[in-house]
Amino acid sequence: MKNSILGFAILLIFPFVNAQEIPIKGEQLFGNLKARHIGPAVMSGRITDIELHPTKDNIIYAGAAGGGVWKSTDSGTFFNSIFDDHAQSIGSIAVDPVDPDNIVWVGTGETWVRNSVSIGDGIYKTTDGGTNWKKMGLEKSERISGIKINPNNNQEVYVGVMGALWSDSEERGVYKTTDGGETWDKILYVNETTGVADIAMDPTNPNILYASMWQFRRSPWSFNSGGEHSGLYKTTDGGKTWNKIHNGFPKGKLGRIALGIAPSQPETVYVVLETEEAKTNGLYRSDNGGNSWEHLNNNFELVVRPFYFSRITVDPKNPDILVKGGLNGALSRDGGKTFKPLGRMHPDIHDIAFHIHNSDIMYAGTDGGVYRSWNGGSTLEIVENIPVSQYYHVSVDDAEPYNVYGGLQDNGSWYGPSSAPGGVKAKHWNSVGYGDGFRVLKHPTKNIIYSEMQGAANVWRYDVDRNQTKTIQPMAEKGDPKLRFNWNPPMALSHFYPDRFYMGSQFLHRSDDMGDTWTKISPDLTTNDPKKQDQSSSGGLSIDNSGAETHTTIFTIAESPLDENIIWVGTDDGNVQVTQDGGKTWTNTVANIPDLPKNTWCYKIYASNFNKGTAYAIFEGHAIGDMNPYAYKTTDFGNTWKSIITDDIVGFARSIHEDYENENLLFLGTEFGLFITVDGGQNWSRFTNNMPAASVMYIALHKKTSDLVLATHGRGIIIIDDISPLREITSEILDKEVHFFSSKPFVMKEESGFAGNYGTETQFVGENPSTNARIVYYLNKRHTFGKMEMEVQDLQGNKITTLNTGKSKGLNIVDWSFTTRGPKIAEAKTLSYGGFATPRVPAGTYNVVMTKGKETYTHPIEVIYDSNTIVTSEGRKERQRMVKILFDMNEELAYQVYKVNTTIQRAETLLAEDSKSKKVTEPVINKLTNLMKRMVITTGDNYVASAEPELREKLADLYSGVVNNYDKPTGAQMANYEAVKALYDEIMNSYEGIQKKEVSKFETYLEKNSKEPLSFQTKDEFLK
Amino acid sequence: MKTFKTLFFVCFISFNVPLIAQTADEVIETYFENTGGIENWGALNGVKMNASANNQGMEIPVEIIQLKDGRQAVKISFQGQEITQFAFDGETMWSTNFMTMQPEKTESEMTENFKKQSKDFPSPLFNYKEKGYTAELMEDETIDGAETFKIKLTQTPLMVDGVEQPNISYHYFDKDSYAIIQSEAEIQQGPMKGQKSISKMSDYQEIDGLYFPFDMSMGGQSIKITSITLNPEVEDSVFAFPEE
Repeated sequence: MKNSILGFAILLIFPFVNAQEIPIKGEQLFGNLKARHIGPAVMSGRITDIELHPTKDNIIYAGAAGGGVWKSTDSGTFFNSIFDDHAQSIGSIAVDPVDPDNIVWVGTGETWVRNSVSIGDGIYKTTDGGTNWKKMGLEKSERISGIKINPNNNQEVYVGVMGALWSDSEERGVYKTTDGGETWDKILYVNETTGVADIAMDPTNPNILYASMWQFRRSPWSFNSGGEHSGLYKTTDGGKTWNKIHNGFPKGKLGRIALGIAPSQPETVYVVLETEEAKTNGLYRSDNGGNSWEHLNNNFELVVRPFYFSRITVDPKNPDILVKGGLNGALSRDGGKTFKPLGRMHPDIHDIAFHIHNSDIMYAGTDGGVYRSWNGGSTLEIVENIPVSQYYHVSVDDAEPYNVYGGLQDNGSWYGPSSAPGGVKAKHWNSVGYGDGFRVLKHPTKNIIYSEMQGAANVWRYDVDRNQTKTIQPMAEKGDPKLRFNWNPPMALSHFYPDRFYMGSQFLHRSDDMGDTWTKISPDLTTNDPKKQDQSSSGGLSIDNSGAETHTTIFTIAESPLDENIIWVGTDDGNVQVTQDGGKTWTNTVANIPDLPKNTWCYKIYASNFNKGTAYAIFEGHAIGDMNPYAYKTTDFGNTWKSIITDDIVGFARSIHEDYENENLLFLGTEFGLFITVDGGQNWSRFTNNMPAASVMYIALHKKTSDLVLATHGRGIIIIDDISPLREITSEILDKEVHFFSSKPFVMKEESGFAGNYGTETQFVGENPSTNARIVYYLNKRHTFGKMEMEVQDLQGNKITTLNTGKSKGLNIVDWSFTTRGPKIAEAKTLSYGGFATPRVPAGTYNVVMTKGKETYTHPIEVIYDSNTIVTSEGRKERQRMVKILFDMNEELAYQVYKVNTTIQRAETLLAEDSKSKKVTEPVINKLTNLMKRMVITTGDNYVASAEPELREKLADLYSGVVNNYDKPTGAQMANYEAVKALYDEIMNSYEGIQKKEVSKFETYLEKNSKEPLSFQTKDEFLK
Repeated sequence: MKTFKTLFFVCFISFNVPLIAQTADEVIETYFENTGGIENWGALNGVKMNASANNQGMEIPVEIIQLKDGRQAVKISFQGQEITQFAFDGETMWSTNFMTMQPEKTESEMTENFKKQSKDFPSPLFNYKEKGYTAELMEDETIDGAETFKIKLTQTPLMVDGVEQPNISYHYFDKDSYAIIQSEAEIQQGPMKGQKSISKMSDYQEIDGLYFPFDMSMGGQSIKITSITLNPEVEDSVFAFPEE
């Protein structure tokens, strides 16, 4: 009884308690704080699958390794992203043959299983051409290799599931649905290590399918392709029974099998085998539906790296023309007997599609984007607007605008500006490294950039001004074992000595002379487990010892920004080592981390900006089949660690960054996006405003601008401009109806440059940040009913301008371009473009005044002049003075023109009704009409038939010229002002003369005859 | 305490479930009921809206006229000149060329597409079934931090560059009030084809019993309504193509 009374009391109180403690999370926290994408698309990124609409030749779909699905509706001129909200790693796309305009299937999870490959999370379907997507199951499939739809019944779909790469899994094999994806039956399954590499359907008989089964496995230190369970299967009864069809194949283990049916002659089937012997590898052909096979060819392009290149596409019209993906790709016109390489394009060709009508037109998906050929693959051109670049890392410098540096999968290393005139374009990016690129670091004080390629095979020190490079990687010295550098080798700058930087093999290396000489400052910090160190036989049936599997290496280095002697090191085999004496002694702290599986890859350590003993460690075990996120914090040099992961996090964690000012503000990158906490990890919110579910591999925070810069592995560089409002968020603020965030003084940039207009129409252009004042406020509810307005006022309460308010629940960002209203311009036959110029306010304090319902909120902001400018404060003053004079002259002219027009109109109406008035009205009309011709343009148009400029145009053009120069008006402008002023005075004098004489007589006539008098608005009324 | 919290949530949620379950028709009907009543919307013969398009210091006066019979006009004023940005008299659609300031007829495909929508006053959602449109309730979405119902409206297909294209738009209804706070239409041509053009609505205010959004942003351009006249008297010449 007592309990229930207490319970009742709590129940009553609870809503109240709830209102007080708003959890600091939810997408709405971010309101309209939006990410912007700067690409680049200059090198694009890995394309895994290309599919064409079966009847409309202008519709193309391209799937990316980490960049989602892109659709073109203009034969590949432009592509748009249509899959932002879902897993960005794409295995296979299928366009429904029955309803191709609407139904498209996407199987997530790339099947070209390199070391850096990402994961999928099931199969998706759209029924409206890609606008909306619904997940149709197979959540644990990890990667989907093929989707085949019955052309007679689109409810019947077969899906090839390759399955998990790094672990056993039963969710693999061929699945079938007969109800459009509501339910699935597994109709072909071999075992937990063997999945579907490829699946094909006879286009004339949908009951006939072929499926190649592949036994494969990756670990962090090895790859294995092949085994006795691999094989090629065929069904002729829609999947009820399957038979192995190996008649003509060599005995023994098989690896990955590529598969292609000739659509014009479906009995002809091609396969590419990976076998135990090099001489039996390569292309096999059957002309009897797989009953027997003939070995035709084992050229390099056919056998190269089957795990990465296993796509055969047969010409839809000619069974003897086929292409195979490969390092460069190869094409045969004699049924597979001989091949020639495809023309020059980015290497690593994963898929090729023939145009539905004209087989000379081909589309290729490569490690460097989509290419088009118009001549059967001889020459190719790149699609320039698919920004699916796969960054591994990102760093920034302190230039203005700052530059963004980073390396990419198979696309080298680059840097480019975070903003540029007209947007960040292909031409703004600079190459600073070959191969696969990883870390790129700008020297803190010199114009020197460090970059590297895979396994530290080269580390470059690039002198930008002199265009000179020197390779400087640490090398084994006498007595050293072989240095083990990760594929993605760690490099770090010192916070204390500009010339110091660190690299990690199994040892931590330090250089104090920009890499000329190196000192080992640690013993082997890894587990040095020999079982994980023999890569000579890695690859399975095809040896693939590229260095990608080098293991037991240092993967992350973090020097404390507070103490040069504190350095953290994380290793790929799960050690977290710390030194507090510059490397003399090291402590492995990993045993102190709770609930972390042994040997889990330490992906990132972040040394805190606030306390010497504080650090964050990110672990991820995806390469041993563990997809859970791990992020820990220590405050005592690793003696104790606490998990900061909550159920809010989706995807395994990759990266973390602490804010520079608020230690509770943390940014976490996972395989499926960006997560932000404002309370030290108690609650996390996913950031989704223009932020796709891409893998966030690395995070940088620009100190001066507070811009968060994300290296995504598949959507290029994504920036969230100025995250400083997030520093202030507390539950108290979230409880308020309206809260304005503080801001630094806003700088009025005095830049104006050129961007060029044409010649780059088909290129991706990265979005620029706003250069306006950003007024940021929080609303606790979306404003929908009643008035809500915002204006800028000076301190005397005079309105400067009206702003367009944001109405979202959460953060709202409103831009003000520092301008006040433009002058009212005199009416004329044409438009005066000069009259549209709006002057900037002088530096100072202004009030932003928001009215919402009955409430008024006032928030002061400060605007200051740009210090990086050629403009002097005297120049600004003089400009301001002239702007005011010209502004007022424009408005005075507008008013006088209005009066002249009104007078002419009155005289004309009077003349029409009273012919006796002719002697007074006609002189008024004639004189004023002649005067008007000199005041404003009265003929011509707005383009090349324009009339000669009159006073209005001269005045407005001079005004806009003075407004648009930030500096003192030029001598020419001042001389021109004298000329325009003389004309202005003369015209105004003439008008006065006419008023005194002709208009005065006219007015007297009106009065005498009791006619409606000539009347005008006051100037204030007119200007309103 | 924890148990009671859980219990409270269970109760709270279970009470609301029947209210949350909705059909497209219920959402659309409630919207019209809440914004003035279905009958009143049906009796409306036209609106004239005076508005201002604001862009950093430039405030351009705009006049928008929409009549029940499908006639429409949008006029803007610059430097004392009134320019018909576009007008449609039921047959002919035209606009003003900004170089010559002369009226020009709109390309026939666009005019035909516009004609197909001439029964859409006061909203394409109003009596949508009679017009042969379909509405579908999609999964709920959060828009501007507000929970919304999402309705997909499929109208008569359009012709774009000689090819028939579906005419699909999405409308988001605030769950608290059923007011539309965002609409999206697919961009039909150009490099952005397939992407969505987004309009946001807020500042709903009452005019003679009907609620209109007084603040709209259309593809980033903000329009603020200053006044609305219901059932306005409008000269035919406003809509008619000015013959030489």
